Amino acid sequence: MSEPVQFVSQKVDLDYKVVTSPVARRFAELMRAGRITGHKCPVCGRVYVPPKGFCPLDAVITDESNEVEVRDAGTLTSFTVITPIQYQGQEEKEEYVLANILLDGASGTVGQQRVEGIPHKDVRMGMRVKAVWGGDADEGSRGWGLTGAIKHWEPSGEPDEPREKYQDHVL
Amino acid sequence: MRDVAIVSFAQSTPGLTDVEETETQLLFPVINEALDGIGITRKDIGFTCSASCDYLAGAPFAFVQTLEATGAWPPISESHVEMDGAWALYEAWVRLQHGDVDVALAFSSGICSRADISEVLAIELDPYYLAPLWLDPLSLGRLQAEAVGQEPPTEQPKYTDAAAAVILAAGDRARELVGRPAWISGIDHRTDAHYPGVRDLSKSASARIAGEQAGVDKAPVDVAYVSAQYPHEALILMDALGLKHVFGLATNPLMVSGLIQIGTAADAVIKGDASRSVGHATAGPCLQQNLVAVMES
Repeated sequence: MSEPVQFVSQKVDLDYKVVTSPVARRFAELMRAGRITGHKCPVCGRVYVPPKGFCPLDAVITDESNEVEVRDAGTLTSFTVITPIQYQGQEEKEEYVLANILLDGASGTVGQQRVEGIPHKDVRMGMRVKAVWGGDADEGSRGWGLTGAIKHWEPSGEPDEPREKYQDHVL
Repeated sequence: MRDVAIVSFAQSTPGLTDVEETETQLLFPVINEALDGIGITRKDIGFTCSASCDYLAGAPFAFVQTLEATGAWPPISESHVEMDGAWALYEAWVRLQHGDVDVALAFSSGICSRADISEVLAIELDPYYLAPLWLDPLSLGRLQAEAVGQEPPTEQPKYTDAAAAVILAAGDRARELVGRPAWISGIDHRTDAHYPGVRDLSKSASARIAGEQAGVDKAPVDVAYVSAQYPHEALILMDALGLKHVFGLATNPLMVSGLIQIGTAADAVIKGDASRSVGHATAGPCLQQNLVAVMES
């Protein structure tokens, strides 16, 4: 008699189609043209970057008529120095910095932004940063992030912002 | 029991597929329509329950995004079910029984066109006995059709994209909001064993008990809407619920179908086309789970 079955291996994969919404598609097109845009809520005036097509706080639908441009510069509100573990497929070899950045003119931060051009020990909250364009832009994916059109961010050399200016945007 | 009624219902255009908008964007105008229809706003909602399936979106916590269609600030009282929207409606009905809130919103969404739903559902079966057999909904449907001596279906009805919203209100608040509230005189849901092999697939015990508990047979039914993907499912449900004639959907919007059936049945009462209607929802393989709601003028 054979050994009792203890383990059953089931290899499962599911394929999903990632669909870029028209709002995300337009945002990506403008990013590739070097413009960062958001939607400004007609009720509360908050500017969402990337745009969602609505204001979730006021429950108002927004469209291109609510489009505004924000600057490619902002304030670093929080950050992490990441030590990459060398799992299979890992492309990062060295420590690097990802940050949340409050863009000038936006009401919330964009996350997962790479910061370069500064020793990691000197990265700090409140630091002013500017975009370095020329990244490998995608189609806007699901509308997350900034599409990759910006390679990374680097210090702009402006004086740091006081804590009061960004403390509501710290994660 | 507190008297609770469906006072408004809205759904996206039937038969949508390859929707490009986000699920939140799909829901937004539907929730607006349900609210606008009775002249209230999101601020009037005391409890919200949503329904969707992360395996349709292919992303963890995808359901959290849809809350953005509710204007959830300041924070609202809400819940989510990973089931057809009919079960969100059930939870909202239970919540209204508590007595401290008078208006509730139940909504549901599903974008089926971004994955092979037959594969997704096959993998959702129990991992030991059924999933390795790769039993997709059509295979299960064919098994059940044979059990009732009907011609087995040869095609899986195409899954469609949809969103729907229902507003419930209690007592006098319901009477204020609409001339003819669709009072929920009975609502119940039951579940059969998960393994089809231990069930008599020619019947639906859970649908029969749910129908009895909801009181389907207590008075004549003017109109009934049931969730049936195949003709043999409609026959099994008619038998279980003791109904001679039922309507179904021409489309197959997973996660939303049941809420649409109940909403449509309620609408018939609200609009004065019926005095007593029945709505039915199902989930799981071969009509495993069943929910029945009876609405009266």
